[in-house]
Amino acid sequence: MAVVDAGPALVEHAETPTARTRGRVGSLGLVLPAAVVALIALACFVGPLVLPVPPPIGGSVLESYLPAFSPGHLLGTDPNGNDILSRILSGGRSSLIVAVAVNLLGLLVGGTLGALSGFVGGVADTVIMRVLDVLIAFPSLVLTLAVAQSLGPSQTNTILALAFFSIPAFARISRAATLRLRELPFMASAVLCGTPGWRILLRHVAPNIAPQLITFGMLGMGIVIVIEGALSFLGLGIPPPAPSWGNMISQGQQSISATPMLVVWPSAVLFVTVLAFNLLGENLRARWSGR
Amino acid sequence: MSLTDDDVLAAGPGPGPSRTGPAPDGEPLLEVQDLRVRFSRAGRHVHAVNGLSYRLEPGRMLAIIGESGSGKSVSSRALMGLLPSTAAVTGSARFAGTELVGMPEAQMRRRRGADIAMVFQDPARSLNPTMRIGTQVVEAVRAHSDMDRHAARRRAVELLSLVRLPVPEQRFAEYPHQLSGGMRQRVMIAIALAGEPRLLIADEATTALDVTTQAQIMELLVELQHRLGMAVIMISHDLGLAASYAQDVLVMYAGRGVEHASAETLFAHVRMPYTRALLGAIPLLERESHALLPVVPGQPPDLSALPVGCPFAPRCEFADEECGENPPFAEQEPGHRWACWHPVPDAVADPAPRGDRS
Amino acid sequence: MTATDERPAQGEPLLRARGIVQQFPVRGAGGIKGGVVHAVSDVSFEVRAGETLGVVGETGSGKSTLARSVIQAPRPQSGEVHFRGTDLMRLRRRELVQARRHMQMVFQDPFGSLNPRWRVTELVEEPLVGYGVRGSAQREARVRELLDMVGLDPSVYGKRRPHELSGGQCQRVAIARAIALHPALVICDEAVSSLDVLIQAQVLNLFERLRTELGLSYLFISHDLALVKQVSDRVAVMHLGQLAEVGPADELYRRPLHPYTAALLDSIPGLDPETGRARRPRPLEGEAPSPLNPPSGCRFRTRCPLARPRCAEEEPVLREHTPDHQVACHFPLDAATRAS
Repeated sequence: MAVVDAGPALVEHAETPTARTRGRVGSLGLVLPAAVVALIALACFVGPLVLPVPPPIGGSVLESYLPAFSPGHLLGTDPNGNDILSRILSGGRSSLIVAVAVNLLGLLVGGTLGALSGFVGGVADTVIMRVLDVLIAFPSLVLTLAVAQSLGPSQTNTILALAFFSIPAFARISRAATLRLRELPFMASAVLCGTPGWRILLRHVAPNIAPQLITFGMLGMGIVIVIEGALSFLGLGIPPPAPSWGNMISQGQQSISATPMLVVWPSAVLFVTVLAFNLLGENLRARWSGR
Repeated sequence: MSLTDDDVLAAGPGPGPSRTGPAPDGEPLLEVQDLRVRFSRAGRHVHAVNGLSYRLEPGRMLAIIGESGSGKSVSSRALMGLLPSTAAVTGSARFAGTELVGMPEAQMRRRRGADIAMVFQDPARSLNPTMRIGTQVVEAVRAHSDMDRHAARRRAVELLSLVRLPVPEQRFAEYPHQLSGGMRQRVMIAIALAGEPRLLIADEATTALDVTTQAQIMELLVELQHRLGMAVIMISHDLGLAASYAQDVLVMYAGRGVEHASAETLFAHVRMPYTRALLGAIPLLERESHALLPVVPGQPPDLSALPVGCPFAPRCEFADEECGENPPFAEQEPGHRWACWHPVPDAVADPAPRGDRS
Repeated sequence: MTATDERPAQGEPLLRARGIVQQFPVRGAGGIKGGVVHAVSDVSFEVRAGETLGVVGETGSGKSTLARSVIQAPRPQSGEVHFRGTDLMRLRRRELVQARRHMQMVFQDPFGSLNPRWRVTELVEEPLVGYGVRGSAQREARVRELLDMVGLDPSVYGKRRPHELSGGQCQRVAIARAIALHPALVICDEAVSSLDVLIQAQVLNLFERLRTELGLSYLFISHDLALVKQVSDRVAVMHLGQLAEVGPADELYRRPLHPYTAALLDSIPGLDPETGRARRPRPLEGEAPSPLNPPSGCRFRTRCPLARPRCAEEEPVLREHTPDHQVACHFPLDAATRAS
């Protein structure tokens, strides 16, 4: 029945005085994934320096294929005799650096382009958005592969290649958010206050679209780590023997039936990390949109 | 508080049903007693309705008046079981003898629309934008009866002409965005009438409409009230609107009833200082340009931390120590209930100098 | 630019608009079928120094678009907007920014008109920064002064953000921003419409107090006829993008000349505060035409009880009927028609 169907939706907009009293909704949902992310980052960046683990590369073939809980090798070793725990920690460092750098690039470059495009409008908007549309329309994995291929495998080039992904996506979101914002009277009010355009962008637009972009970035973290893994899997990401979660999985797959743990360990860490980032993003979004 | 209310309600309806509408037969259609609604969120409690009691005779139009946060909307949604799960509803609301508070959702769903129907403020959002309006009315009809498609369609056209939608057969195939705001509200009323309810709650149903359209919709509601013998609760912030159309008026403040009488009695003999303040603050055509309005300082109380005693006391010019105790909402003159220790006498009751418009 | 720096003497027009036209193209379903919304069609009016001109109209009458046209955001398609002797339509962007300093606006949505992430002091400071008031100590002092003026204690409310304020308090902050630069004209676009009646009265009184204390002129836009009557010296009635009637507030409400004005007045529910007796509205029949496709001739004729053939053929122009009282109607409601 239409009358009743309309009810609950409208209750939200009703004069219930709860709107302003909305407190710390689901703060555990925010703290827990944030703690997991922090822990993983800490382990990857500080862990290899303080923990009694051997270096991730240069192991002896004599020690290859050690099982887990071997003395000195908590998670065992890989075919080259390198300590798996150590490789996971160092690999996590590469993976996280790539993910953060790619999203930061996307946030700053894409966010700025999108905000400018939405704020200025007109020809500039059309030009910027058409260029980005072309990038989006291009099969993204193929594009990334092509870029990675032509630049050659390295951490910096992986970041650049993946940024081709993230910049247009951030720009789209930033532009849409800016357009929505432009409709609000406080933007017109700022113009009447004589506030110059760059200041409006910096002080009115940026803080109001930042939550959306950061949330999107959190969700993007997981995606970037996975794609970096795919690139490495194809031999176009972080070049071995330097570890990354992606190339560890890719190498481990060659002997997956004999030594499944080579794939299981990095995959498990990757899974937990991606999940934590996604939960963090999701809960941040719920929180910010609740305002 | 409920004790006094029992006594009051036993006294029956007051004088002044002389306006239009069927005469009350003493048996209330709706009897609300000590209704309380509390919203809880993250350890904070918001007391939206605090012991509301009133009764409504069949076929009459009651206006519930109040500002934002007075609990006028929340109390009516509570009757329909339309509040979110964060709300705790206590007290009693008997509709034709059946208790509505605490009714299981499945049972409530059957009764919604059939006993009590509701029309909301925003007709644009209440209608499904992707469905033809005819389909939406037909669905509402079939939800309340076992008519086949053809009968339901005939009934839907009938309902649309009942709400005076121009050329209903033609409008049948149109989508909501093709209608004006007033026409959409007519469609919403038609949908609400599909279950032949005995009570229609119009929650700020004309607030979003233009003044000319508002008058049309209010006329329609009055007409339907008489033709269908239906009771109407109109929830509004507009005292002028209430005075023009309703037979009974209930004024709410901070989740309580503060004054309740027939429209004639209430507006001629305002007793509660809050009602008087509301009346004084309405811009009137009769007033001079640039005239300053009599102003009540302050703001409505925080519903999560209600003051002890009369909630209006901190803003009231007549308040003294006595107001530290909650005044009973009792019948103090025949057919006239108010909650105040220092009611306004008749002589002072006019808030503005007289003016003329002919 | 000396012209804009002096205030015109009392009675001289502060703002004079001539023939403002504002139209928006719209796309139909699928973006194929095009149309034009005639939001404002050839509207002329003036606001004299020190007076309040009220503009009433229903949804879609173009009253908000008219306000936006005056501040040139966006610029009208054609027409002239003389503010203190300068035609804003011919100014370049930088000059326009300077000219707009003396023209501020208060919007309807108290929360939407303030950036939700700023604090009250920052919000009130924004126009001072924007128009280059030097010295942060001076700005701070001015912000305190402004907050005091609009009845907000700076030490209590200064550090709050909009969501920690009530609607009425937000509107006070918006007003403090608007008067920060000593404007000559404040445009109020439904500025009190979303407030509860007791709070609305407080804010209306604040507008009145600022008017007398600061010598402000207002362009006061609202759909509420009684409200407009309360604050205005003169009232303009807008209907479907055109002015139907302009005249002194008392006279226009007591003896409306345009049938539309009369119909509007008949539609408002009223209450005699002394006797408590209600005035039951007499509603107008029919639906308002769409601004996409306004009727030929007089745009009110489809709902007008007095329409005659001439109304469909010839568009009535706004002309003076009695001194200072203009009406756009072929058959205005003068004494003779009213009697019949």
